[in-house]
Amino acid sequence: MKARRVDGLNPELGIGEAAARIVRMRWDEVRGFVPRALDARKRRAAHDMRIAVKRLRYVLEVTSPVFGPHAAEAALQMRSLQDVLGKVHDCDVLIPLVRDRIGRAPDSDAEALWALVAHLQARRADLHARFVRRWAELEAENFTAQLHAALEQRPGTDRPAGERRPDTMTAADPAGEMRRDLADSTARRTS
Amino acid sequence: MARGSEVAGLEPEVPFGVAAARVLRLRSEELWEQAGGVLDTSDIERVHDMRVATRRLRAVLEIFEACFEPEAHAAVLGDVKALADALGERRDPDVQIAALMRYRDRAAEADRPGVQGLIDSLTEVQEKGNAKLERALTKALRSDLHGRLEALAQEAGG
Repeated sequence: MKARRVDGLNPELGIGEAAARIVRMRWDEVRGFVPRALDARKRRAAHDMRIAVKRLRYVLEVTSPVFGPHAAEAALQMRSLQDVLGKVHDCDVLIPLVRDRIGRAPDSDAEALWALVAHLQARRADLHARFVRRWAELEAENFTAQLHAALEQRPGTDRPAGERRPDTMTAADPAGEMRRDLADSTARRTS
Repeated sequence: MARGSEVAGLEPEVPFGVAAARVLRLRSEELWEQAGGVLDTSDIERVHDMRVATRRLRAVLEIFEACFEPEAHAAVLGDVKALADALGERRDPDVQIAALMRYRDRAAEADRPGVQGLIDSLTEVQEKGNAKLERALTKALRSDLHGRLEALAQEAGG
């Protein structure tokens, strides 16, 4: 699912305004999958919603410092939602793999593999029910209103410098470290 | 890698382009920091961490797209996506094997060989994924993806 384009963004716009536009759009995209994704049979909707949630989560993770406190909380809530949808998706990927294996495995293994399919289907149902409950909690907490309110709050411009976090960028050469790891890996395989 | 580092000095009035440069540099460095030992299949969390770092970098490239030179941005984004795909092809069997091993260990004795056969076939998929990942990492280094990310940041906000 491709993300919708956010119009009116340019390098001179303040990050607060630009990010607020993006967050609103991404949250609308997430909501657009409800009610379809709440139906356990609509696998594609749950998958696409997971992608949409992930996009919103990452925007919020980067930009939450320029908004009210609920933006950071919203990032955590999206992470939790993404996590459970990700586990649902893992089941959706693994179940067909096991079924395919049943067709090619010795007859003596079939019973064990059918038991595995049943286990994964039950797990998937539990996880999807957890996702539905989590969504209901967000609605009960009036997540949309809280998020929009946080986007209207723009703290930070008068935040005391002493409260700012230190820059965490490093001066190391991690790409060089990766080159050495690759060389080591190649040497191990050819030795 | 629970979450990406917070970007220092990000205030609401900071121009989008300047913010793009700061965030892109930080996420790029985080990606390369996660690359060490990523081809070691005995420690699957390394691939997971690098995959998450790649997702965050990709997200930044998409969020701040309006700030980057279009042609260079498209090329870099394509390469980051390719790296992410390769990491995913390694990670998917990692996760599946780990889940099946947990299930196998709790299963009845008679059921274990059947589950083990599936694990063995997924281990072959994992090895193929690892070879693809190694090629993707080599390509990222040879094409100086790290340097091109820095050039994008420089262009966006100095």
